[in-house]
Amino acid sequence: MSFSSFLNSRRESCRALVNELGKKYAYVGILGSDVKSSAIRVNRQVSDIGEGGAAECGFVVKMHNGRAFFEYSIDDISGDISALAQKIIDAVKVEESLVEREISVNVPADEPMVKSFSRECDFDSFSDEELLAKCVEIRDAILSKSDKLLNAMVAVMPFTVSKLFISKNRELDQFYSWVNVMAVGVYRDGEKMVMAREGTYSNLMGEALGEMPSHIDALVNKCQKLANAKPIVPGVYDVITDPSISGLIAHEAFGHGVEMDQFVKDRALAKYYVGDYVASPICNMHDGAAATFSTASYFFDDDGVLAHDTQIIKDGILVAGISDLVSATELGTEPTGNGRRQSYKRKAYSRMTNTFFCPGKDKLEDMIASIKHGYMLFETNNGMEDPKNWQIQCTAEYGIEIVDGKLTDNYVSPVVMSGSVPELLKSISMVSDDFKIIGAGSCGKGYKEWVRVSDGGPALKVRVKLA
Amino acid sequence: MRNRIIDILKNTSGISDWRVLSTRTESTELFFVHKDLETVRSTDTTDIKVSVYVAHDGALGEATFSVYASFGDEQIKEEIEKAKKKANIIANQPYSLPENEQGEYVSASNFANYKPHELASLISNACFEADNVENGSINALEIFVYKDIIKVTNSRGIDKSQVKYRAMVEAIPTFNGAESVELYEQYNFTEFDRKLVVEEIAKKMREVKDRYEAKPPVAKLSCPVILDAPELEQLIGNYVGELGFGALYQHSNSFSVGDDMQKNSCGDRLTVTMCGEVTGSVRSSAFDSDGVTLVDRKIIENGKAVALWGGTRYAQYLGQVATGNLGCISVECGTLTNVEKTSKPYFRCASMSGLQVEIRNDYIGGEVRLGYYFDGEREIPVTGISISGKLSTALANMRLSNEAITYESYNGPKCAIFEGIEIV
Repeated sequence: MSFSSFLNSRRESCRALVNELGKKYAYVGILGSDVKSSAIRVNRQVSDIGEGGAAECGFVVKMHNGRAFFEYSIDDISGDISALAQKIIDAVKVEESLVEREISVNVPADEPMVKSFSRECDFDSFSDEELLAKCVEIRDAILSKSDKLLNAMVAVMPFTVSKLFISKNRELDQFYSWVNVMAVGVYRDGEKMVMAREGTYSNLMGEALGEMPSHIDALVNKCQKLANAKPIVPGVYDVITDPSISGLIAHEAFGHGVEMDQFVKDRALAKYYVGDYVASPICNMHDGAAATFSTASYFFDDDGVLAHDTQIIKDGILVAGISDLVSATELGTEPTGNGRRQSYKRKAYSRMTNTFFCPGKDKLEDMIASIKHGYMLFETNNGMEDPKNWQIQCTAEYGIEIVDGKLTDNYVSPVVMSGSVPELLKSISMVSDDFKIIGAGSCGKGYKEWVRVSDGGPALKVRVKLA
Repeated sequence: MRNRIIDILKNTSGISDWRVLSTRTESTELFFVHKDLETVRSTDTTDIKVSVYVAHDGALGEATFSVYASFGDEQIKEEIEKAKKKANIIANQPYSLPENEQGEYVSASNFANYKPHELASLISNACFEADNVENGSINALEIFVYKDIIKVTNSRGIDKSQVKYRAMVEAIPTFNGAESVELYEQYNFTEFDRKLVVEEIAKKMREVKDRYEAKPPVAKLSCPVILDAPELEQLIGNYVGELGFGALYQHSNSFSVGDDMQKNSCGDRLTVTMCGEVTGSVRSSAFDSDGVTLVDRKIIENGKAVALWGGTRYAQYLGQVATGNLGCISVECGTLTNVEKTSKPYFRCASMSGLQVEIRNDYIGGEVRLGYYFDGEREIPVTGISISGKLSTALANMRLSNEAITYESYNGPKCAIFEGIEIV
């Protein structure tokens, strides 16, 4: 598999459109996107081969008139380019009354660069028949483990991304792939029914598929434990977070808060704390498509800016934010390669990519041993940001009670962690020396604009309100 | 393009049935930073999904793919052949596609009376008109005006289309003082009424001022909790999802017909109807993606599950009549009067990070960004707290307002009051 032949066939038209629109606009950039995505799903009753949700093919044209930005999303760029340019100009006209409201920001930089990027992909080595058979095999292996399993759902969801960026001075293209394999058990014990999940992921199908069978016992064990989980008694506890929950904290507590389009809108308190301690001095945090390798590891963003590795928190001090082209232009900073769109039909915003805390020096067993009574929390359920007011809500799928420095067999589920972001981050007292990135996430901005993200890190010891 | 695809499908051998579902979307979008217009967007895109069905070995297989604007006839034929191959390795219980219905529908809306740019501009003006609270501001505003043309055609004589209009406002009301606080507002509508837009944003501007003034309670609050319509939509939405044909067929449902969903109830009992349309809702529709005409169905009556709902495939698997995939919820009002509500202290959740409803774990809770504690005389704004409780206990004690309201896809009680939810 390789870069889209369709996008290659439209290079010349894109260049012509950049030239044509360049007669009116000070900056023109075109992003072409051809994402092929499929989903093979089986459960006890049905199986399906369909298209994955990420599939898309089209273009978005971004323009700057010396003051404000304009965008037009379209399925194809071909035919009479002059006529198309005029159609675009007409489509983005605003009412006379709004012209005077247009913001006045500098024209984005358009540094010259011509480059192609590609990453190894083995999807062609697996036929639909093989993938379906593998899903069936995993499903049957799960169901064979317990009579209490009502159903087992297995899905393989690969996608390949081809993106082409063309402006007056830049021509970039990239091709990469990712696959998520997901297994879900539906388990009933008496009156109580629970669901548990396990996931594997990689840019290579062979890796992601090959790893899943080793998760089956863990999945079934989790079903059994969750069926007996109790609600937690609300209160403030000493807590150890697994890498998934550490990543969720990084993402919700500070990731959204340093998306610099929020700085422009005065929507993030972090804007006023650059250079200040915002977390424990043993806390370091990064974001970037080039910061580690996972689901959001593209080569350039949807503004044609190369992937970065941005250190956000250094030894507890907030040092930098992450930006898209527009917010960086407004703030007079360098964009950090974080301009991402849900699809070519949507606007680009400053978005997280791979977000994580760096490993520390503590051993996980020492961290657990340091707690008289508390919980270790596992697996992201969901989270919600509040960058303006530095409040946080993160939900873990489950927690295990720690008593006298030892993990017990007492499971609680679900567990909602909430409170003040600085209090939470400053409460980090131990950081484990291991590290894991979970590459199966997706993230909205507010309640929309979904993009694929990863997050993770080491285990953290924090003190936080649980309910 | 649609006609070309349909012609090719009609002349393709080896497929039992087909369906073509297309959505053309035109949008005009305005993005403001404070009161400055930062970005203007316009879109004109079409999604076309083609499904092919192959009956083989007493089973049915299907596969779906997208057709893009750039596709020529040969590429369409290639994609159909690939889909045929996929459908041939899938062996599900057979079912029939809906048959012999045609219709052209236009959703009720006054949007067609405006040019899209004009309407987007009017909506933004209405939002800024509400931005008149001293020390208050709208720090970010996004306006989306959409026109969707949805068409579904299948090999069994379904040929339907619907034109829909919808708008969305995403606003960030902010209050600036010694500190600065904000709330999030997402407002969807299908009918433009300047006064309603102004009122909606003005309400949020008042609430954000309250959030600024709100403080954590000095002592633990112990009183009934009130959830308003947005949270009730989420809460009841979780329950109706359990009564879908698909959930039952795949054994992922916690409830089924005949089950009492409010055991040991001593409050108002739920009566819920799934609907195709709620006036003003952007989720209203005449038919679903298979072309099945949507039919309302009462699924919960007096707290008991009385029926299932859903699309044609799983309905047939269960030997039931499909309602189509309904997008709206209607809930009967209860007995709680405003006089009764204000007869004793309560805590009302006005803005939450997100209500967590876990039916399987019997949990309800979430962080409350702005709440109001009613002390018997007045509502006092409160922040920095969460709610948490057993869902079954909350439902058993629930009292539903006797006043109805429409919010998004929900029409039902304006609020509900719950005993047994802890405020922490």
